[in-house]
Amino acid sequence: MIKSLVFLAGMAFGSAALAQAPSVEAAKKEGKVVWYTSLAVSSAEHVAKLFEAAYPGIKVEVHRTGSQRVLQRVMQELKANIKNADVIHTSDAGHFVLLKEKKLLMKYAPKGVEAFPAGFKDPQGFYYGLRATVTVIAYNTKSLSAADAPKGWKDLLAPKWKGKLVTAHPGYSGIIATHVLALSHLYGWDYFKQLGQNSVMIVQSAVDPAGIVASGERVVAVNGGEYTFYQTKKKGNPLEIVYPKEGVPLVVSPSAIMAAAPHPNAAKLFTDFTFGREIQQQLADSEGLYTGHPEVTYPSDKPKLKDLKLLQADPDELEERSAEIKKRFVEYFGA
Amino acid sequence: MSGVRLSGLTKRYADLAAVEDLHLEVQPGELVALLGPSGCGKTTTLRLVAGFLRPEAGEIWVGQRCISSSAAVVPPERRRMAMIFQSYALWPHMTVEENVAYGLRFKPDLARTERDRRVAKMLKVVQLSGFESRYPGELSGGQQQRVAVARALVVEPEILLLDEPLSNLDANLREEMRFEIRRLHEAFGITTLYVTHDQAEAMVISDRVAVLNKGRVAQVGTPEDLFRRPRSRFVAEFIGNTNLVEATASGPSSVAKGPLSLQIAADGLAPGSPVLVSIRPHEIKFAPASAANMLPATVRRASYLGTAVDYEVQVNASELVLRVTAPVWPRLKPGDTATLAIDPAACVPVSDA
Amino acid sequence: MSAQAPALPTRLSSRFEGIDRSLPVWLLAALALVFLMALPLGWLALVSVTGERGFTGAHYLEALGDAQLRKAFWNTLVMAFWVGLGSLALGAPLAWLTARTDVPGRGLIRSLVLASFVTPPFLGAFAWVMLAGPNAGALNELWRALTGAEGALVNIFSMPGLIFVVAIYTFPYVYVMIGNTLELIASDLEEAGSILGASRFSVARTITIPLVAPAIFSGFILSVLQALALFGSPAILALPAGFHTITTQIWGMFQYPPRIEVAAAVSIPLLVATALLLLVQKRLLGRRGYAAVGGKGGQRRRIPLGMWRYPALAGCLAIMACAVFLPYGILAKAAFSRAWAQPLTWDNFTLRNWTFTFFDYGSTQEAIVNTLELGVMSACVGAALAALLAYVARRKVILGHQLVSFLALAPIVIPGVVLAVALFIAYTRPPLLLYGTLWILFLAYVTKEMPVGYSQADATFRTIPPELEEAGRGLGAGRLRVFAEVTAPLARSGIIASWCFIFIGVIRELSASIILFTPGTKVMSVVMFDLKEEGQFGAIAVLGIFMLAMTFGVVVLVQRVLGRDFMGVRE
Repeated sequence: MIKSLVFLAGMAFGSAALAQAPSVEAAKKEGKVVWYTSLAVSSAEHVAKLFEAAYPGIKVEVHRTGSQRVLQRVMQELKANIKNADVIHTSDAGHFVLLKEKKLLMKYAPKGVEAFPAGFKDPQGFYYGLRATVTVIAYNTKSLSAADAPKGWKDLLAPKWKGKLVTAHPGYSGIIATHVLALSHLYGWDYFKQLGQNSVMIVQSAVDPAGIVASGERVVAVNGGEYTFYQTKKKGNPLEIVYPKEGVPLVVSPSAIMAAAPHPNAAKLFTDFTFGREIQQQLADSEGLYTGHPEVTYPSDKPKLKDLKLLQADPDELEERSAEIKKRFVEYFGA
Repeated sequence: MSGVRLSGLTKRYADLAAVEDLHLEVQPGELVALLGPSGCGKTTTLRLVAGFLRPEAGEIWVGQRCISSSAAVVPPERRRMAMIFQSYALWPHMTVEENVAYGLRFKPDLARTERDRRVAKMLKVVQLSGFESRYPGELSGGQQQRVAVARALVVEPEILLLDEPLSNLDANLREEMRFEIRRLHEAFGITTLYVTHDQAEAMVISDRVAVLNKGRVAQVGTPEDLFRRPRSRFVAEFIGNTNLVEATASGPSSVAKGPLSLQIAADGLAPGSPVLVSIRPHEIKFAPASAANMLPATVRRASYLGTAVDYEVQVNASELVLRVTAPVWPRLKPGDTATLAIDPAACVPVSDA
Repeated sequence: MSAQAPALPTRLSSRFEGIDRSLPVWLLAALALVFLMALPLGWLALVSVTGERGFTGAHYLEALGDAQLRKAFWNTLVMAFWVGLGSLALGAPLAWLTARTDVPGRGLIRSLVLASFVTPPFLGAFAWVMLAGPNAGALNELWRALTGAEGALVNIFSMPGLIFVVAIYTFPYVYVMIGNTLELIASDLEEAGSILGASRFSVARTITIPLVAPAIFSGFILSVLQALALFGSPAILALPAGFHTITTQIWGMFQYPPRIEVAAAVSIPLLVATALLLLVQKRLLGRRGYAAVGGKGGQRRRIPLGMWRYPALAGCLAIMACAVFLPYGILAKAAFSRAWAQPLTWDNFTLRNWTFTFFDYGSTQEAIVNTLELGVMSACVGAALAALLAYVARRKVILGHQLVSFLALAPIVIPGVVLAVALFIAYTRPPLLLYGTLWILFLAYVTKEMPVGYSQADATFRTIPPELEEAGRGLGAGRLRVFAEVTAPLARSGIIASWCFIFIGVIRELSASIILFTPGTKVMSVVMFDLKEEGQFGAIAVLGIFMLAMTFGVVVLVQRVLGRDFMGVRE
């Protein structure tokens, strides 16, 4: 009874244009927040634990899978009238354009988000960038010296890399979808057509190439989330990162609350928490991510965003051309 | 035609000797039955002769060839034998014709037409002409058995081995097939070893019978030898029914049991020595008078068998109870008294083994 | 009225007495079966031909026109065919050696084949990635260390690699089929041939092989069927190599935006193909099922291998090394290593994978609970339903009992992915909205495992003579009471075996679960698949070992209860 009242209240608040500060008691009564996220599982679980420690009594139910799958889950559930997800966070900005269009998101601005740069904010206020990363090249230092390593995206097309490359898949990962779109603007689709000839190993998640390269299974990753490469390298694995001078695609990963969230107060509390300085700093420190928070400092061995040539991708275009991106990739790479 | 000689044949499984120091000689063209209770080693002996088993000791000779010894065994396919199995072992995926013709395929100088001719002829012999393209699954038990016989005979083996081939047929058919097998044997004259546990069968079919017990030959002889002159308790009991009387020698050819005295078929008995006497039930007659071995007795039980009556009779003034098989007429009832007359020749002393 | 009253009641009661009061139970069971099978398949067929505006063939046209799909279809055919041959090449010699010769260690070989049988193929595929990935795979590392070569000895991410991995987990089907047939062929059939002059080789050629031929074909077809329906192994080995199979394609059609109708249109032909294959297999086995023809006395005697005894054993163990020793070994290593590709030195040793999997990774505990819940529920309901249905069919309780038998065994032809598509379509719409709950998984599992449970129950009832029940009914007990008090206790061990077969089938099921799960209803196999997508090798190894432990625990239970070999191949 109380739950449905709270639910109705939350709905009423959500549709208002104002961002209401969530009440911790109401959130505790809801008891949990269900988080559909594409953030790497260890990072996601880490964030969840921090929240649970800060707000005892509210559990975070983490459901981690690739961006594309997250969307599929959400859409499939909604179609069957299942309302499970509270907070949704993926690395494919195009998803949020879609969800916003379908009126599936709650308008909510996390506390303090005004200070974030424009690229991290939806003008209508439905979603905000929780984290960002760039896609880069990485290679195994045991098999390759720095001199022989590829320096830029075009170097990967050379025949000497045949059979030694690994790529993640835009059909699974939002990071990679963004990457593919950005590079297609830079070099055209022919780039991927040629790259596809090099017998590239296909993995799904943008997190995966780090493991593949670190183990030496493949020597060079042609893409992947920089934050996972950074973390892997920090752990002592024989891996080095290349930031091509021609440009690195910037991937901003938005987060939003579902309009039909079953635990809206907990969702808002959680959102505020994750956009707060403590967590944003955590994301930068231990997860190797970039964030939009102005007060976050980054480790010295990471290049600053302003020092890199960033390739931006337009979320609307991501959404519009999503099917095409995946289709072409499959055509060139086989699966 | 060759004969078979088994000398000192021994086959052990773990510590158990299935066949122990077995000696047997089969004359060329003779049909010898290996008869005995289950576990006596008859099937093992047959399989040794077939070459499926290697003996631990002893030898098997066929004619002038030594084909099995503890050192070497000629493989079954080169022994020039044929075997009819208890299960017939007909190949279900081949027709009757193919089954019968199988062995002929391995005679390299046989032309196809000659092969077909022999098969047709053999099928006629076993009265299965017209069944060539049937499958074994479509035949009755008796027909299957005849196919097995045809298959074995058509290759003209030196030695024919039969492993209880009739045990799966019903009683009528079994009797009919006994005579059939005997007829075929007389027609073809192949040296044959025939394993069976059915003594009636052995008696009808064979020239001689070898009774096996615990891996050894207990006695070998013609059916009449075994029946009328068994040499041991085992053979006497195994072949037909018998009465065994434990008595003591009272004279060179007589024994005494309590107050009773019997003349027996023996000579030179040492008085006082224990003698076990075997008396076949049908050799005891209810007679008005006779010279020797007149024993007054009382009928205890009478069972009508159709062709005879099986009596249990107590000899007066004695504990001795005898089985008597007598003609149907005159009929006696329990309680009747009669006098038993036993021909001394029917009182055979046997060893207690 | 009162004068007639005594007559009326007796006439009524005698009419009731004529009706078998247990009938509703059997009818209910049969109806449950029809519901399980017919409803989803009906929806599947309907959706495949329904478009926005009524009936249309557009989905089939789209399916045919899609080059990717055609390629995937071809890949599937190629893979299944070679898996069939591979399974024959592995299973037939192994079956012959253990059933007919005196190769040493027969019990050990049989246990190892059993281990291969119960290992989930996707777990095996995953282990082989760690063994034979071209650069980091343990075997390739060894090869490079020994020979100093540059490249890889084997690349598991390829069609031959996929065929190999599938075959080593599918060959037990061939092994059982051929083994059972060889048991039925009495030795005399071969001895009769050899004494008539045939050499050992001729005997094999003209007698043994033709008799085993139906089992050989049957085993081939069963393997092909299994291979066609697999999802996990192709997803793990084919996708990275850049090719799809039909199952991975169907799964792909559930990505956003979903193409459910096309999935349905692809599923129906797949279903028809598998049904045809099964029909052929039944024909082969039924018509020329060679039981020993003839009299009793047929024994099986073992062929002595002489000096080939130990080489033969070595060969068998080599096969089992591929299916069991190597994969289990590498799983164990990965479970305890920080970096699976590095050798297991003391620095590399860690228990962190275990703590991560069971405590840190949120989905694990819930998934284990779900899996166990579903396993127990499906096994209980499935075994009970199978027992009732088998009883109905064997004792011919109701009209149409042959249909019962057919329907109970029919799910064999439905690949898991297709079943999932059908269930998804049926239960994501009113009146029964089961998607998102454990119930849809429950339905999938009970349907999928019904054939296994049913065959076991059927075989069990075959051993209970009807006279035992007739005696009870003659003394006044109704059919249901007799079933509960006479038949069921006697069939107890068979029903327990049924339960265990279903349980094991459920805990390792992936191809249906991967489509029907939602974040709240994950099961262990799905969690493992998820982890694979993130490259969490250590965690997968941990869960894999856990799953294997559960499976073997249940298997040991079955063997104890039944007192015989799990797969039914008797000594």
